Amino acid sequence: MPTPVLICDDSGFARRQMARSIPDGWDVDISFAEHGQQAIELIRQGKADVMFLDLNMPVMDGYKTMEVIQEQDLPTMVIVVSGDVQPEAYAKMMALGALAFIAKPIDNQKICDILNQYGLYCGAATSQERTEAVGAVAQGNEPDQLDAYREMANIAMGRAGEQLAKLMGEFINLPIPNVNLITNNEIHMAIEDVKRNAAVSAVSQGFIGSGIYGEALVLFNDSNLTNIGKLLKYNHFSNNEAFELEALMDISNILIGACLNALSEQLHITFSHNHPIILGRHCDIDQLLDTKMVRWDKILAIEIAYSIKSQDIHFDLLLLFPGNAMDIMFKKLVKTST
Amino acid sequence: MQGMKDIAEMHWKHDLLGSIEVGIVVLNRDYEVQVWNLFMENHSNIIPSKIRNKSLFEFFPEIDCQWFKAKSEPVFSLKSPVFVIWEQRPFLFRFGANRPITSGSEFMFQNITIFPLASLTGRVEQVCIVVYDVTVQALNIKAVAALNSQLLEISRVDGLTGLFNHRYWEEQFCQEFKRNLRTKTQSSLIILDIDNLKKINDTYGYPAGDEVIRTLAEIVKKTTRETDLCGRYYDEKLTILLPDTGAESVQYLADRICRLVEKRLVQYQQHGIAYTVSLGVAQFDNIFSDHSHWLERAENALCKAKEAERNQVVIA
Repeated sequence: MPTPVLICDDSGFARRQMARSIPDGWDVDISFAEHGQQAIELIRQGKADVMFLDLNMPVMDGYKTMEVIQEQDLPTMVIVVSGDVQPEAYAKMMALGALAFIAKPIDNQKICDILNQYGLYCGAATSQERTEAVGAVAQGNEPDQLDAYREMANIAMGRAGEQLAKLMGEFINLPIPNVNLITNNEIHMAIEDVKRNAAVSAVSQGFIGSGIYGEALVLFNDSNLTNIGKLLKYNHFSNNEAFELEALMDISNILIGACLNALSEQLHITFSHNHPIILGRHCDIDQLLDTKMVRWDKILAIEIAYSIKSQDIHFDLLLLFPGNAMDIMFKKLVKTST
Repeated sequence: MQGMKDIAEMHWKHDLLGSIEVGIVVLNRDYEVQVWNLFMENHSNIIPSKIRNKSLFEFFPEIDCQWFKAKSEPVFSLKSPVFVIWEQRPFLFRFGANRPITSGSEFMFQNITIFPLASLTGRVEQVCIVVYDVTVQALNIKAVAALNSQLLEISRVDGLTGLFNHRYWEEQFCQEFKRNLRTKTQSSLIILDIDNLKKINDTYGYPAGDEVIRTLAEIVKKTTRETDLCGRYYDEKLTILLPDTGAESVQYLADRICRLVEKRLVQYQQHGIAYTVSLGVAQFDNIFSDHSHWLERAENALCKAKEAERNQVVIA
């Protein structure tokens, strides 16, 4: 009898990628859920002896799902598959009874190792047939493309979040990345989480590799800077100005560096980054973005709104790719996951 | 043969590292120098054999050791490059500017990149510091910023008196009016006018009149507080806006200006010119529909002062 397996992830791209990675030799019956609520329903129907569970999802996230499973003692073995790889996320899920924790991006070998370890499957790792059965990861129409970028951003965001958590010694709340195709340079439309009326400061850095190029922006609400300074434990700054600059640069270095590292891993590209510049300080967000921009017909804008709830700190990472860079990137994403 | 080829390759690579116009330094986990290229050698006057395997901090006391370690730690532990820009710290190494005579700076502004060098084990055992000379760029940016603040100053200040010009003063006055509406605070406005300036101009010439206006502006500047906004409203008419100050407190100041002016002769060539001023004062009132209404009330008070033999203060 085949083992009922459930894949729960809000990203279609990620669900397909997961399904393709399951080894051919494992006799399974795969179901899919887009969020925790659907998953709980399917577990109750007996469709999930094993569940691969994502953490950041709308409606019901992975933590809540795990709590429900524990409370109601639902019959499923949970393997967490997450972009958020902070030690706290790991500890929390393991404490709630997860069997194992796999960091995205997923691949066939990682799954096999885990299955092997828990005696769920011991055969060959190959997943050739499964890959063919699931079909192309994405067709290249717009929603599919955006979904692929979102998943890519999700993993990059998680990596950057983990490194930032290490630096600051605080748990970083990770959102679902906001991915948009924008035209006519209305970048400010892509930014949801920056308070419109607050003064902001921004650092910008360009990157390029294998025909893919873009710009990373880190946006800070000026009111947050004092709290950030407390976390970074700066003690050798006599004046505010110098201290703020240092905080801006430290956070941007980590965020952009880690994010680009994760992107290059997924795309198999080594990026060159140029020196960051201070795009603006203590200014209005619309003013910051409007005055200096070159017009593009189409830009892929990925907004990641990081926050540290306990300290009331928020900052935004914005990854921007112009049209032609975006198309090359999509081809790479589809190819590397085949 | 292969050996010769290898040596030849090493040779030109060494040349490459040497002639490139950026500083390249490789450090190990203990911040000891492993590589020191020609750029670094020439600018620091320290030869590689002298600094190799020695702590960087020994040779460069200007580097804040604690700060630098904090910066490089993520490079070792997170394998992520770190960028330091000259706005943060003008330089890491205190080198002289590239063009000692005409560069306009005593030292070299530097952008710094610190990036990880992977070892065979995959762990980061060494990092590379790249030092870019950005003196020209930095000086240009600074010059533009200085110019901008100068332009801002020029666009706000009246040349003769050094007080705010009409346009900027009125802008600020408008803001203050709105703030008063919002917060129910009570600010006051003074309009000063030089009595019979036309007579002074006719007798001694316009430059003498200008000197009188300038002297009055000086008195106004000396008697008002830093938070008061003084402007040259029209020719011989000055304005003072006093935030959060009621008319009674203003009376004292206005009277004082009146007395000081009366006492002080303006020295122009061999002449000592005596003059007086009239002042109209108006406090903010909730019934004002806009800021010009407020101005009007002060103007009316000024007219009354003029009608009543001048050289006095009238409060609306």
